[in-house]
Amino acid sequence: MADHENGAEAIPQRPIGRTGIKVSALGLGGHHLGDLKTVEEAIRLVHEGIDAGITFFDNCWEYWNGRAEDWLGRALKGRRDKVVLMTKVCTHGRGADVALKMLEESLRRLQTDHLDVWQIHGVCFDNEPELAYAKGGVLEALDKAKQQGKVRFVGFTGHKDPSIHLDMIRRGYPFDTVQMPLNCLDATFRSFEKQVLPELNQRGIAPLGMKSIGGSAPAVKAGLVKAEEMLRYAMSLPVATTIAGMDSFHVLRQNVRIARGFTPMTAEQMQALRDRCAEAAGDGRYEFYKLSLRYDNPQARLSHGLPLDVTQKEVQEMLFKEAGGP
Amino acid sequence: MHDPHETPIRHGLDRRVFLQSASLLGAGVALSESLLQGQEVPAPLELSNTGPDKIPRKPFGNTKEKVSVIGLGGYSLGDAPSLNEAIAIVQEAIDAGVNFFDNAWEYHDGKSEEWMGKALKGWRDKVFLMTKVCTHGRDKNVGLRQLEESLQRLQTDHLDLWQIHECVYDNDPERHFAKGGVIEALDEAKQAGKVRYVGFTGHKNPAIHLKMLSYNYPFDSVQMPLNAFDASYRSFQKHVLPEASKRGIAALGMKSLGGNGQPITQGVVTVEEALRYAMSLPVATTISGIDSLAVLRQNLAIARGFKPMSTEEMDALQKRCAQAAGDGHLELYKSTMKYDGDTGREQHSLPSHKELPL
Repeated sequence: MADHENGAEAIPQRPIGRTGIKVSALGLGGHHLGDLKTVEEAIRLVHEGIDAGITFFDNCWEYWNGRAEDWLGRALKGRRDKVVLMTKVCTHGRGADVALKMLEESLRRLQTDHLDVWQIHGVCFDNEPELAYAKGGVLEALDKAKQQGKVRFVGFTGHKDPSIHLDMIRRGYPFDTVQMPLNCLDATFRSFEKQVLPELNQRGIAPLGMKSIGGSAPAVKAGLVKAEEMLRYAMSLPVATTIAGMDSFHVLRQNVRIARGFTPMTAEQMQALRDRCAEAAGDGRYEFYKLSLRYDNPQARLSHGLPLDVTQKEVQEMLFKEAGGP
Repeated sequence: MHDPHETPIRHGLDRRVFLQSASLLGAGVALSESLLQGQEVPAPLELSNTGPDKIPRKPFGNTKEKVSVIGLGGYSLGDAPSLNEAIAIVQEAIDAGVNFFDNAWEYHDGKSEEWMGKALKGWRDKVFLMTKVCTHGRDKNVGLRQLEESLQRLQTDHLDLWQIHECVYDNDPERHFAKGGVIEALDEAKQAGKVRYVGFTGHKNPAIHLKMLSYNYPFDSVQMPLNAFDASYRSFQKHVLPEASKRGIAALGMKSLGGNGQPITQGVVTVEEALRYAMSLPVATTISGIDSLAVLRQNLAIARGFKPMSTEEMDALQKRCAQAAGDGHLELYKSTMKYDGDTGREQHSLPSHKELPL
C-alpha cells in the first residue's frame, strides 16, 4: 500500500475500489458524533478532523433518530466539497419505497443534494439478502437513486456474520463498497478478514473497516490489547478506510496522530497480535455485535419482530422521548 | 479403545462430517442451507406401546431402551407454583406413561433437581432419568463434583443419561475435548457405574453440534431444538438430525414451541401442530416444558395415541412457517443471547443476562 505518497505528515489517501475517488485511511464515524454534548462541539470536531486531513465521513439515517446526520450536515456547511460523504439507509428488509423516503430525509439533514456513498445499513439477519434482492426490494432504490444522480456509489454494511455478507455479494449486485468489522479479534471468530476481505479485493469492491477496537473496546478494558494496537492493525489491512468513532477531541487527536504518516504493521506483527488474541477471542466474548443483539438497532429489531431491550442507549432515548423528555 | 485426547481420526463419514462442520463454522451458518442443501429427514422411528389411551414409546438410539414420545422438562418443573404441584405433575405424567425425565445441574440453582428427586421417590425405577453437567469448559473435576450433587439432589445412585449442557459457544467443543476436560468425566462416570449413557445438548448452532460430533466420541444422545421453524433457519433438522440418525445416536428434541411459545402467541401455529411436528421427526423423545397440571394435561392429550404426521403434512407446515422463521425471531435461542445461561457466560467472560439480556 503506497500510503507514503502523500508525505510523511499527511493522513494517507487510498482509492475506494474502482470508483476513481480517494479517501483518507481514517474515516470519522457518525454514531459517536451524536455522543457529543452539543452541536457546537460536534461542528468543531468535524472541522478539526477535516483540517487534519480526514476526508471520509460516515453516517446513518437511524443514528440518534436523525441527530447524527443533522449535526454533520451543519458541520459540513461550506465544506461539503472537501469530503466524501456516506450515509446509510435503514430498510432492514423493507422495500425500495421506504428507502427512497429515507434518502430524502438524509439529504435534507445533511444539507446536500447528493451523497458520495449510500449503503444499506445493518445487513445482519439471515434472510436479508433474499429480501434485498426481491422485487421491490431496497436494491431497486439504490439503482433509482444512482439514476437520479442523488448518490454516486452504493454499498452495504453489517456486523453479524461473514456468511450474510458473502450471500449479499455473491447474488451479484454491483456494489461499490462493503463495510464490516475488521480488527485483530475478528481474525479468530467468524472472521470477516478471512472470509469477506479477500473476496472484495478480488472483485474490486472497496472494503470499509469498522469496529477497529471491537465496539465498546471490551478487549482493551480487559487488558488484552491496547486501543492503538487495534487501530493500527485495522488500518494495516487492505481496506479503503477504517471508520472510527470519535466522541471527544482527545480520541480524534489520538487517532489522527496514529494516522499521520501511517506505516502499516508488518505481516509478522499482525500475526503476533492475532495470536495473542486468538484464545480469548475464540468464543466471541469481545465482539458482542456478532454474538448478541446489543448492536442491532431498534429499527432493525422492530422490522424483524425481535424484542427491544432497555439496556440499549437508543431504546433508552426512545423511551425518554416518549415519556416527554427533550 | 477410544481415547478422547487423541486427535480424532477422520475418515469416511467422520471426515465428511468434519468438513461440513469446518465449513459451517468457517463460513458461518447463514449460507449453510445453500452450501450443503441439508439432508433428507430420515424415516420416522418405530412406535411401541401404541393404542388410543397410551403414550407411545420410541427406541433410544441403538440401545434396547424405549422412551416415551414426550419427555418432561426439568427447567419448567422448577417454575411450578409449588413443590406439591411439581410432585403432582411428575406422578401424573408417570401414571400416564411418560418415562423420560430431563433436568440440569444448573436449573434454578438446583431446585429443579431437588424437586424432581422428591417427586421420584419410590418411582425412580419407572423412569429414564437424565440430567446435565454444566462445566461450560471447566475441567473434569468440576464435572464429577456436579455429578455427585445431581445424584444427591435426585436421590439416586445412578443416572440413565448424563449430558454436557449447553454447547453454544464456537470454542466449546475444543474445551470439552481438551485434556482433562469434561469428556474424561463422562468416561469416568460410566466406568464407575454412575451413569449409563452420555450425550450433549445445545440450542445455538448446528455447526457447533457437528463439531462436537466430529471428534467421533461415542455419544449415546444429542439434544437440540427441533420444530417447524428450525427447518428454515440454521436448521438442526437438516444438518444434525440426519447425522445422529446415521450413527445410531438418539436424537432428543427440545423447544418444540420455539422456547417460550412465541410462534403460538403470534398465531403462526397451534400447540398441537407444533408438538405433533416435533414428535413426528426421527427423535427418541421430545422434551417439553411443563410448569402446571393444565399444561401437562394439554400435552398428554396430544401425545396419547400419537400417530406421526405424514411427510406431506410436515412439509406443508414447514412451508407455512418458512417466511416468518427466516430471520430467527421465532427462535430467540439461536438469534439472541436470551437463552444462554449465566454459568456458561461466566466461563466465557461474557456479561450476565442482566447486563446483556439479548
